[in-house]
Amino acid sequence: MTRPRRLLARHVALPLVGVECVLAIWQATLAVYRLPAIVLPSPLAVAKTLVDLVQTAAFWRDVGVSLFEFVTGYAIGVVLGMFVGMLMGEARRFRMAATPVVESLRFVVPFAWIPLTILWFGTSYVGKILLVAYAVFFVMVVSTARAVAQVEPTLSRVGTMLGMSRWRLAWQVHLRAAAPTLASAARAAAAIGWIAVVAAEYVGASAGLGLMITNAATSLATSVVIGGMVVIGVIGAGVSAGIGVLARRWFDYR
Amino acid sequence: MATIANGAESAAAARLSPRATAWLLGCAGMLVALAVWTVLSRLFAHGGGVINRLPTPLAVARKLVAYAGNDLASDLLASLHVFAVGWLVGAASAALIGLVLGRSDWLGRIFLPIVEAIRPVSSIAWVPLAIVWFGFGLTSKVFLVGLAVFLVVIVYAVDGSRRVPADLERTATMLGMNDRQRFASLVLPGTLTEVLIGSRVALMSGWGTVIVAELVAADSGLGAHLIAVEQSYDVPAVMATMICFAATGFAMNAAFTWAERRMLPWRHDREREAT
Repeated sequence: MTRPRRLLARHVALPLVGVECVLAIWQATLAVYRLPAIVLPSPLAVAKTLVDLVQTAAFWRDVGVSLFEFVTGYAIGVVLGMFVGMLMGEARRFRMAATPVVESLRFVVPFAWIPLTILWFGTSYVGKILLVAYAVFFVMVVSTARAVAQVEPTLSRVGTMLGMSRWRLAWQVHLRAAAPTLASAARAAAAIGWIAVVAAEYVGASAGLGLMITNAATSLATSVVIGGMVVIGVIGAGVSAGIGVLARRWFDYR
Repeated sequence: MATIANGAESAAAARLSPRATAWLLGCAGMLVALAVWTVLSRLFAHGGGVINRLPTPLAVARKLVAYAGNDLASDLLASLHVFAVGWLVGAASAALIGLVLGRSDWLGRIFLPIVEAIRPVSSIAWVPLAIVWFGFGLTSKVFLVGLAVFLVVIVYAVDGSRRVPADLERTATMLGMNDRQRFASLVLPGTLTEVLIGSRVALMSGWGTVIVAELVAADSGLGAHLIAVEQSYDVPAVMATMICFAATGFAMNAAFTWAERRMLPWRHDREREAT
């Protein structure tokens, strides 16, 4: 067998066998237990629902709302998080003063804020945007502070020798040296932020993917629920892959 | 400017040990945060603005004490029960499946892509489906937490089962170990070590899933209490419950880090060198 064909067999055929197995088990469960579509729709029904969903305007509105909340909150969280993280990494005293506050807030996971954001901001976008910003902020603060503090000391010494001021050194040397770590943190933060949007929309929202699938669940449209989960997964994977590519292009010089 | 700051720093360092300085500054930071909170709550006390109901730290503390004297213990126990069962089921099944998929080339190639495809669909996205399948009881929450923990731990289990150090492998060959001996003394301990570390990493995602599951499928536990006080617009009680969640998460994380240090001291040394 030639090499490309073997690679094809390994990387395409075997995973396909796996997918077949899952679909077969899915269908067999339906056939054996005679489950109604309310409990478990067939794979084909889910695929059909997805095709129908994609053609409705309401679906795209939900996707748009969720993505808008995510992107806005993410941008705020990344910028503020990197800024505060830089301060913590550069100024030793600020780091000492801020660490207990950051550490104790870090354990108030974003999901625990959901009811409070609903009390404060209702079902509007603002609450979700702040929630995403909060989730992303802490990921970025912790990893930026750590990455900046761990920059090769030789680099700082070279910078000082060249007569760079403290903040120029931070901006031009430390931030760049920490960039690869920041790129991967930005990617991890994207996954967390995306799921925070969905979770917030479960509890209180006027539009969005999370609301779409909880509504579908209460009206027992299970094929829409599973279809929505697929969409959430695809967007989540797409968003973090996209941010990974962007971050690597901008930050990662290695 | 920089020299003045450095001078002041070294003067302070001469008087106090670095650890004492860190403690003092840390306490100062906390006090500043509490002061800002109090000032903000005064500013927002009388209508206006979006945040029109920010309670003072004192009000939250009072609610916390009241809740602690009432049914905090039973709610916490209910949440921890869900968490512990889900976490154990998730970690154990991930260890078993990860070991099989990691050691068997064929099975790994067939089923690992499926695991990889499910991973980006966070366990949070499964909440509505879990409610349709298992209702509002314990089962659906255990399923969700188990799934969250499983999806984290399986990566560690597969990794651990595959990464047997080359020198140990050579030693095993030299000692003439057969496959079963190799499995028992090389593969299994390596996998279990990674599973243990993965289980600690999964703590926070599992605990976060408990919160969301209880918020959505509220019948008992801290999350149900959180939704109940939210629906009666009791902001101080909401914040007090959030503190309970955070404190529990912190305590679990601290306990596990400590246990891991005792059980896997070599891992801890390596991590300390890396950071």
